[in-house]
Amino acid sequence: MEAINKPQKRRSRIYSSEARVAYICLIPAFLGLIFLTYLPLFGVLGISLTNWTGLKSPEFIGFDNYIKLFTTDPYIKDSIIATIYFAVISVIGSMIYSLFIAMLLNRKIPARGFFRAVFYVPYVLPAAAIYVGWSWLYEGNFGFFNYLLSELGLKKILFIADSSYVVPSLSLISVWLAGNLIVIFLAGLQNVPIVYHEAAEMDGANGWQRFRHITLPCMTPIIFYNLLMSLIANLQVVTPALSLTNGGPSNSSRFMTYLMYDQAFVNYKIGYACATTFIIFVILAAFTAVLFKTSGKWIYNEGGDDK
Amino acid sequence: MKTGRKLGVGLVTAALAMSVVGCGNNGNGNNASNTASPGTDATKAPATSSSKTEKVKIIYSMWGSAEEGSTTQAVADKFNASQDRIEVEVQAIPWESYMTKLNTLATADQLPDTGMLKEDGVIQWSSQGMLNDVSSMYEGSDSKPLDSLAYKYQGKTVAYAAANEILLLYYNKDMFDKANVPYPPSSLDQAWTWDEFVETAKKLTNDKKGKHPGEEGFDSQSIVQYGASVENLPWQLETWAIGNGGGFYSNDGTEVRIGEDASIEGIQKVADLYLKDHVAPLSVGQTDDGIQRTIIAGTVAMATNGAWNVGTSLNTAKEAGLNYGVAVLPYMKDKVTLNTGGANVVFSQSKHPEEAMEWLKWYNSEENNWALISSGIWMPTLEKWYKDETLTRKWVENPNFPSYDEYKSAVVDYAQSAAARPASWFYTNNTTDFNTLLGSVLGDVWTGKTTAKDAISKNLDALKAAHTGNQ
Repeated sequence: MEAINKPQKRRSRIYSSEARVAYICLIPAFLGLIFLTYLPLFGVLGISLTNWTGLKSPEFIGFDNYIKLFTTDPYIKDSIIATIYFAVISVIGSMIYSLFIAMLLNRKIPARGFFRAVFYVPYVLPAAAIYVGWSWLYEGNFGFFNYLLSELGLKKILFIADSSYVVPSLSLISVWLAGNLIVIFLAGLQNVPIVYHEAAEMDGANGWQRFRHITLPCMTPIIFYNLLMSLIANLQVVTPALSLTNGGPSNSSRFMTYLMYDQAFVNYKIGYACATTFIIFVILAAFTAVLFKTSGKWIYNEGGDDK
Repeated sequence: MKTGRKLGVGLVTAALAMSVVGCGNNGNGNNASNTASPGTDATKAPATSSSKTEKVKIIYSMWGSAEEGSTTQAVADKFNASQDRIEVEVQAIPWESYMTKLNTLATADQLPDTGMLKEDGVIQWSSQGMLNDVSSMYEGSDSKPLDSLAYKYQGKTVAYAAANEILLLYYNKDMFDKANVPYPPSSLDQAWTWDEFVETAKKLTNDKKGKHPGEEGFDSQSIVQYGASVENLPWQLETWAIGNGGGFYSNDGTEVRIGEDASIEGIQKVADLYLKDHVAPLSVGQTDDGIQRTIIAGTVAMATNGAWNVGTSLNTAKEAGLNYGVAVLPYMKDKVTLNTGGANVVFSQSKHPEEAMEWLKWYNSEENNWALISSGIWMPTLEKWYKDETLTRKWVENPNFPSYDEYKSAVVDYAQSAAARPASWFYTNNTTDFNTLLGSVLGDVWTGKTTAKDAISKNLDALKAAHTGNQ
């Protein structure tokens, strides 16, 4: 015991001076967080309890906005469903797609650098241009996809004009946009120790077995990170609704962030929009919490934890 | 190690210190610029007051770029020079953030004296006591704006439209000539009934093999040219609800009438152009680019939309060779077109409402908006331009417009006929809420998943709630 105690004292002195530096370094970030994140969050909560329209001074109305949202609001239910539906298919789709592409790009193929750039490019294109482009592909009467379908003698699909196709159609764009995930996966794949693969190959493991039992477990921390980032980004989806569908048809793409935008900056019900914002925050927090809670079960830590 | 740490701490403190200094500098900079404007005002004010009698300063806000702002300021300068009591300063705010900015200014009690306001904001702002009564503006004037252009809240005129706009039927003359079909009528007496309209549209709809709807072997999946497209943005749909004997609201805007069979049937007929008659392309009524998607894209022979398109898009298409004409809308039971136009208002926060009205009245005379009017984007608001032929010719006879006779009959006369009805935001509150909800309710009607009857009846309570602002 004593042998352990002595160095610990020494370490705590190091800790305290290191801690000082750490705290000093953290101050700017903390200030940013407090003034740009936490205070506004409480501000939103406060305003959500008023009927502020921006024109007259706000009156305190208690939880009326929340009651209205959950009883008479014609949009919120559809909106939550649409958002979660979109996020789930987009996240699953883009995870599978980007891991697959990353593995292909991790092989020694000719012009590998070029292909890596090709798959990353969609991510850096300006969003408005992307959606205008896709709107021409998806257009219901003369769009490119429908042109192909009618050339093949098939029935037209009203991709973004039909309430049952709109979310999958928009998710497809979001999957196509997942270039950032590919890059992160690629970095992760390069950290999978090659010795494991060599050893497994010696033991006669086939490609799938090596993927299932080596690549996948080694990648779980990266998968977790990508999953989290992609889930948060997709739950906050708003651009496709703003640039393509205006929330339609029939609320099928009235995502929560779009709904909030509409309430706040089209209808000027600021208090009401703040209540919606707070609900979005709670939903996001819930999803993140679930993901973190379950993460311990499936994330493989290299070096292991010595519990 | 130790020195390294010290160095680290030193660097951090230095960085912090610099950032603090940076903040300080920024702060000073802001302060300087903040104090600068009152400062210059302070130096200006005595100068003007000493030169002449004191001029009342008025701020007029408008949407548009800084460039458009300085064009308007040049007009205002003429006004400023023409008299010695009022000095107008123009404040241009980009369109996208215009209403947001005004909201912020209203909260801070810093609204301009007068300015433009989006159509659907006028009654809402009136109901919150933000606008002045402007009924007295044209008292004793020789020419007043058309009656349909006054925004009314509780019987009082709270604004006049800055421009006039009505809904028309545009058509592609080449497509009509090719199919050997007579043009749509430009005069109201000869307006087509809905059935005549649909029949004509069928003749102009061709599939890949050149077959028309209703003919043996016609394939609705391979249409290459559509006969007609009726704009289904929610606010424009009111035309067909009213024209079929119903409406969105009662005449005073207090009751919701969209649940009535006549209103629903009017809307369903528009949807059926695509679903049953197969003469129209699918449109889900969410984007405001109808004419670009139809007439200008060259895929549709006839399309309804607002008169502003003459100046916003059709003039360039015309230069590029598009041969289009204008006609009056077809009708179901009553001949109806809607008119609209963004408003010019006097804010109640203004300390100089009289002077603000005087400026608006001067500014609203068409000579001062000539660029917008002669390009075809705005139509004049004052009656005299519609009644006095020399003035009408001055307005219409220029290369931006379709031929004089056609435009005179299908637009100028149409706009002052009994068919022209003010869009609901001239007298009804919460039209944004109502139209947003209606647009969402009708989403599945356009694709035929549900009927207008089911969609509207199911959401009637919500629509009524939206109308009262209690959604």
